[in-house]
Amino acid sequence: MTGKEAKKIFTKGILTDNPILVQVIGICSALAVTNLMMNSLIMGIALSLVTAFSSLTVSLLKDHTPKHIRMMVQVLIISAYVIMVDIYLKAYMPDMSKALGPYVGLIITNCIIMGRAEGFAQSNPPLPSFFDGLASGLGYTFVLLAISFIREILGFGSIFGISIIPSSFTRWTLMVMPPSAFFILACIMWIFNNRSIKKQREGVEKK
Amino acid sequence: MKNSFIYPIIFMALVTAVFIAVLAGLNFVTADTIAFNKQIQLQQKILYIFDILPEGGSEKDIERVFNDNVIEKEWGGVKGFTLVQGGREKAYAVPISGAGLWGAITGYIGLSNDYTKIIGIEFVTQSETPGLGGRISENSYKNQYRGIDISGKTDNFIISSPQPGSNIDAIAGATQTSAAVVKIVNENLKAFLEEVE
Repeated sequence: MTGKEAKKIFTKGILTDNPILVQVIGICSALAVTNLMMNSLIMGIALSLVTAFSSLTVSLLKDHTPKHIRMMVQVLIISAYVIMVDIYLKAYMPDMSKALGPYVGLIITNCIIMGRAEGFAQSNPPLPSFFDGLASGLGYTFVLLAISFIREILGFGSIFGISIIPSSFTRWTLMVMPPSAFFILACIMWIFNNRSIKKQREGVEKK
Repeated sequence: MKNSFIYPIIFMALVTAVFIAVLAGLNFVTADTIAFNKQIQLQQKILYIFDILPEGGSEKDIERVFNDNVIEKEWGGVKGFTLVQGGREKAYAVPISGAGLWGAITGYIGLSNDYTKIIGIEFVTQSETPGLGGRISENSYKNQYRGIDISGKTDNFIISSPQPGSNIDAIAGATQTSAAVVKIVNENLKAFLEEVE
């Protein structure tokens, strides 16, 4: 794999084909765990690792996997990695495991992982698949961090749990509740897609 | 060969076996740590109720203080903990449970040895809205339950503001959760005190 290919994979995963902003998949957990930045970061890392390693494994096994049972195999691989992450959090980060609650287990059903396994890893060599999974996970993480940044600072007055706004500032109760993520996510999508449409138009006019 | 009837079955079985082996190994290696974490978490909560939690103590400190001062006790099928200091029973931690706003709330409530005072409260599981109802797990709420006199009362031990004669401030913006906690405490305490008497 050349550097150019790697760059292309990462720009796609993080920007032009961002799983949340462009493909609009995996937003269930994006709404649920973004009340605190720390939760979002850990969730993002967990998802990136699971996506990367399950894509790698799917790609390694693809030549031996019969086509009609490939989805079963993919789900099996994904679940195994998610359980590993879950066990790790329970053993070494019990507080985080408690904060994320059922959402770690629900990574299994996150469409991003299945989407990358089915859409990329199934027809590409192992290493690019690994990076493709990682890039999509990073794209997801960045969006989660952006949402949780706004939610945490307005809802709790802090960033990563460190208070930065004086307590005289009235906390936005709405920001703590899941619905606020809908508004913020929609606004971020709006700004992002507006920009990419503009860029496309400029590109057309230059030609 | 890939399209034969038997190949997919063998393949699936093999892949499953490999992953199960890996997961079982991982589970085996971490089982003790996870059990220890759970135990420390509970011990920390019980010590908090008795107000003898070592300040900034490590896990080992918590375990030591717990083993030195606390023993398990059972009242007619209710399993709780007793604070024993100087050979005498000083206080009790009694389990409480009930429905919160989003899910079950379970925890322990501390009582003095003559059952006339509530000395503390701690929640083990709760899934209330973080930042709103979830604030029942914050010290500013829980510390209100220190030293509430319930002598002579047989019901409504806890009265939440803004009702007259209140002894606990409800959490603003989390009326449902606050009311649920008060209800859980009152119901469980009533049942427990009837059981003891």
